[in-house]
Amino acid sequence: MNIDIKHIAKLARLHIEDDQLEKFESEMQNIVDMVEKMPDIEDEMTLDPSNPMRLREDKAVQDKFTRQELMQNAPQVKAGCLVVPKTVE
Amino acid sequence: MELFERNACDLSEMIKSRKISSKELTESVFGRIKAVEGKVDAYLTLDKENALKKAEEVDAKIAAGEELSPLAGIPMGIKDNISTKGLKTTCASKMLYNYVPPFNATVMNKLESNDVVVTGKLNMDEFAMGSSTENSHFKPTRNPFDTDRIPGGSSGGSAAAVAACEAIVSLGSDTGGSIRQPASYCGVVGLKPTYGSVSRYGLVAFASSLDQIGPLGRCVKDVAMVQSAIAGHDRYDATSAYREYPDFSAALNADVKGLKIGVPKEYFGDGIDPFVKQSVMNAVKELERLGATVKEISLPSTDYALSSYYIISSAEASSNLARFDGVRYGFRAEDYDGLVDMYERSRSEGFGDEVKRRIMLGTFVLSSGFYDAYYKKAKLLQRRIQQEFSDQFADVDIIATPTVPTTAFKIGQNTDDPLKMYATDICTVTVNIAGLPAISIPCAYDDKGLPVGIQLIGGKFTEQRLLNSAYAFEQLVGGFKKPQL
Repeated sequence: MNIDIKHIAKLARLHIEDDQLEKFESEMQNIVDMVEKMPDIEDEMTLDPSNPMRLREDKAVQDKFTRQELMQNAPQVKAGCLVVPKTVE
Repeated sequence: MELFERNACDLSEMIKSRKISSKELTESVFGRIKAVEGKVDAYLTLDKENALKKAEEVDAKIAAGEELSPLAGIPMGIKDNISTKGLKTTCASKMLYNYVPPFNATVMNKLESNDVVVTGKLNMDEFAMGSSTENSHFKPTRNPFDTDRIPGGSSGGSAAAVAACEAIVSLGSDTGGSIRQPASYCGVVGLKPTYGSVSRYGLVAFASSLDQIGPLGRCVKDVAMVQSAIAGHDRYDATSAYREYPDFSAALNADVKGLKIGVPKEYFGDGIDPFVKQSVMNAVKELERLGATVKEISLPSTDYALSSYYIISSAEASSNLARFDGVRYGFRAEDYDGLVDMYERSRSEGFGDEVKRRIMLGTFVLSSGFYDAYYKKAKLLQRRIQQEFSDQFADVDIIATPTVPTTAFKIGQNTDDPLKMYATDICTVTVNIAGLPAISIPCAYDDKGLPVGIQLIGGKFTEQRLLNSAYAFEQLVGGFKKPQL
């Protein structure tokens, strides 16, 4: 099977240098070969009945963090907002 | 015997009876760190100032006659993917090189209320992806038993620090063996708890359906003490189990009479080093001598577990790591042309090769046209593996296997071959796939003095039985031996 590394990289928002493509491709191929040894299972996916999920109430919780705390790790902040490149021309 | 060499259970008594102060102990541990850290490189961040401050607080509480937790005043190291408020949490990645969490993981709040002294943050494979700690962006950690060898991973810093006595106990995280495998390589005890028993809130997510935080220590009792402190339901983790847990260390019992041990033949195949096989079988015989019964069993889908694991964990990782985009926190590339280019460059420069490989694999298996062939199949296999385990647990109480196929390998030996590196997790991934608890304890040392671990696997929420079995073995055969550094 041909693995289109460039396409996957684009989906994953990763930039792979041209001279790295081949290395990634052969490593991925090895992993895919390993994975393809899995047997076929004719079965349906079902939820685990022994582990029902209990969802929390649909209710706003009190704010645990201040705006400043949440922004302290951002690479670029201006006037209390996150700065990103222009998205709309 | 120096204070830093002692176990938490002894130190706890000494602190309580005021034979020693937590401050003396903390200073002893930092003295040890100063002496050997240059050889081991277990820590990414040290927090001596706050550690001493906490130790003094504990001493003041004890002087005032307060009744404290058995872990009060005990120095503990924390894996660097567990969020610590105000203390850098990097996941050993360039992506989070400067990240300081504004909140504590639930386990950290629990440790704080138990008055634990946090020494610092421990090295790991980047985002917990790896089996040798060589994938750390900052530095490799070295095995205290032979500093030319890897300590295992991804919680390599957590295991090496405890083995080198640079921490009394530590926390790690285990997605496919990341607590047990380094514990085995470094000759310490490591527990991967049942999925859902310890809150994952604040653990930087790798594969959310497999990740679990757990303790490492130099004896079973220390591990039991830490597990008691961190287990419990947490409303901030939707996968957290609604359960009450006993005080595991108080209930420790070395009586294994009547314990039924299953030995699965699939875990003793050609890929396992003969000495490791022999050591594990000898350990099982010791338990038999104590009154346990032993039975050969079969877990036929074991061979497919690694494939299933890499599909599920990579798929979840590709989704979990999508949040690192250079906008809200972490690394942002300097030069870029527009928003998408900024994402791509920040992620490409911020993540290491192994992380990229797993994101790529995860993206691939989830991509249109491939989902059924890979991800769905892996999830179905997961259910089959779970079923095989639960069928066996109708018949046996615990399952004994090697933790890792070999002893610790040399630094650089497997870095060019991802599949060879992945194969070191062959005995441990099944446990995460099935959501079970398992413990690794040292059971032998090879001719080079390198430790071998035995893994004991239990049914869901049978930590007490696992700890008891490990304790019985440790009482009879002895456990941790301090390496020469």
